[in-house]
Parts: sequence; C-alpha cells; structure tokens
Amino acid sequence: MSSMEEKLWDYIDGSCTPEEQQAITLLIEQDELYRRKYEELLQLNAEFSAIELDEPPMAFTYNVMETIRTENAQQPLKAAINKRIIKGIGFFFVFTISAILIFALSNIHWSAGTSDVHIPSSALLQLKGLVSGPAMQVFVFFDVVLALYLFDGYLRRKANNKMLDSVQTSEQTKL
Amino acid sequence: MQSKLSDIELIEHTLAGDQSAYADLVKRHQRFVFTLAMRFAKTREDAEEIAQDCFIKAYRSLGSFQRNSKFTTWLYSIVYTTAMTFLRKKRVDTDSIDDENTYIQLENQGGYYDANDAETKSRSYYLNQAITQLLPDDATIITLFYKGEQSLEEIGQTMGIDPNTVKVKLFRARQRLKEKLERLLKNEVNELI
Repeated sequence: MSSMEEKLWDYIDGSCTPEEQQAITLLIEQDELYRRKYEELLQLNAEFSAIELDEPPMAFTYNVMETIRTENAQQPLKAAINKRIIKGIGFFFVFTISAILIFALSNIHWSAGTSDVHIPSSALLQLKGLVSGPAMQVFVFFDVVLALYLFDGYLRRKANNKMLDSVQTSEQTKL
Repeated sequence: MQSKLSDIELIEHTLAGDQSAYADLVKRHQRFVFTLAMRFAKTREDAEEIAQDCFIKAYRSLGSFQRNSKFTTWLYSIVYTTAMTFLRKKRVDTDSIDDENTYIQLENQGGYYDANDAETKSRSYYLNQAITQLLPDDATIITLFYKGEQSLEEIGQTMGIDPNTVKVKLFRARQRLKEKLERLLKNEVNELI
C-alpha cells in the first residue's frame, strides 16, 4: 500500500523517470484501486498547496529595520577608534619606555659595585599572616564552591543536550 | 507597495548602503519566514522573535551570501538553524512546564475558534490545525515544499540533509499530516453526531 502511495506521490511531484511515469499512467488508467488512490492524493496535494501562510505583526518590517538602524548607529563608535590612532599610542608608549630604559641604563655607574637588597622583614610577616589566616581559608572555600557550581552547571548542560537528542530521535522513530 | 527588483538586485542595493532595499526584501519574505518560525515556536511572540532574529542575522552576513544559490534557500537555512537553536534553548529552559504551556495554548485556540461560525471550520482550517500537531521537521518540509517553492535539493541545503532523505521525510510527513487531518475530521464528525 505504502509503496503504491510512494510511487503515486513521485508521479504527482514529477520526480520519477519517464519509464516509471508511463507505467504509472497505465496503472491509473487500468487499475481501479490505483485510480482512486491517485485521485485522493491529487486532492490532498491541492489542499497542501493551499495551506495559508501566517501573517506577521503589522510593525514587523519596521521593528527589523529599527533594530538594524540601532546597531548601525552604535557601530560608528567602534569604527571611530581608528587603528592608526591605537598604533600611534602603542608606538608612543614603546618609544617612551625604551627611551627611559636607555637613559636609566646609560646613567648607571657600573663600577660602583654590588649592593644587597634588603626586604623589610615586617612585610614578609604580614604576608605570612594573610596566607595562613582565616581570610585564606574563606578564599579557598569560596573557590572550591564556585568550581563545584560551575562543574555542576556544565554537567547539567551536557545531560540536557544528551536527553534532548535522545527524545528527538525517539519521537521521530515512534512516528 | 513592494519593489519590482529581484532579490539579487535588492541585495546589491543593500550592500551599496541603501537600507530601504533591505526593508523591501524583508517585506517580500516576512510572511514565509514568519510561517516557518511558527512551525517551531508555540506562540506568535516567539515566532516573531525568531523571524526578526533571522532577518538581522541575514543583514549582518549579507556580504558573505554566495550568488550561486537562491537567496530564499540561504535565508531559509538561517531560519532553520535559528529556530532549531531557539527550540533547543527553550526546551532546556522550560523543560517541565512546556507541556502545560502547549495545553493552555491549544485550549485557547479551541475557544477562539469555537466562537466562530461553523463555516470557518472548513477543511483548510483542520489542515492548518493538523500542521501545528506535526513535528517541527515535518511541518517545515511540508511548508518549504508546498509554499516555499523549494526543490528537494534546495530543502536538503536548507536543512543540511541529503535530497534523498528529504524525499523520504516528505513522504512520511505527508502521511502523518494525512493521518492527523483524518483524525481531526473524524473527531469533528463524532462531536456533531
């Protein structure tokens, strides 16, 4: 039955070969069952072709163009930042830093000998206190909770996508 | 008043900076794009959002449009991918209340049409009802084939599948639509008796 329908749909769509077309024409003429099915499908085809399109809201085009206009109006701000200006600023900084470095290096008295760097011990102690204190524990705890929360979100998203795919395929196979 | 220029000519005008040419393109294709979006979305608001998003995306990437295929095929492929993404996002967001929403909508739709004359309940009305009950893919194929004047190859391009698969899917979609239509008409006859 379905193969007959399939052939008839191909015939109606004009997607079968000339030989098949000839054979189906003959079948329609001679076979009552074929003829009735053909007429039924032809009627369905006409009905499907007459499906009405939905009408969007009146302001649809206006809304689209308005969004585009807004986007375009925002764009010149980005475009206004000329790449040449950025390059110029970059070049200025590089030039200034290099000039300072060269000036500093040229003014060093290399023959003055070595000097020890003394870091104040009080600063180190304070740092130690921060690392081992409750502030550090709170910080680590917060980081662990945040990491778990993000990991959970990632797993949920992955599971949802998997479920959606399986539901879609099962729905399609059912029907 | 719609422009008499072809799609390609309107695109060229748009790329040259004439925004009104793009407005003409939107006017020309908005009904079909909106209908396609309706095949995926459950509400007119969602469909409007999808359709609007599609035209904006199309505008942004108009420069990359290859002229070796029809503009509509390119546009419909944007609609299809945007709608699929929307559907995926929507299902994830409202997984548990989705069925409830659908139920309320169908109930409202019924109420609206019940208030109309029996004459409006023509076969075409039931056909439109039957389409809304199809899976988005089936409804899209039927719409693209019958209303979008798209060949099997073009539908394949739009949906990212092989033309032979489109042929099989179209056949199944027609069968399902026929079954749903028959069921709806049968229920109507039973209600009248």
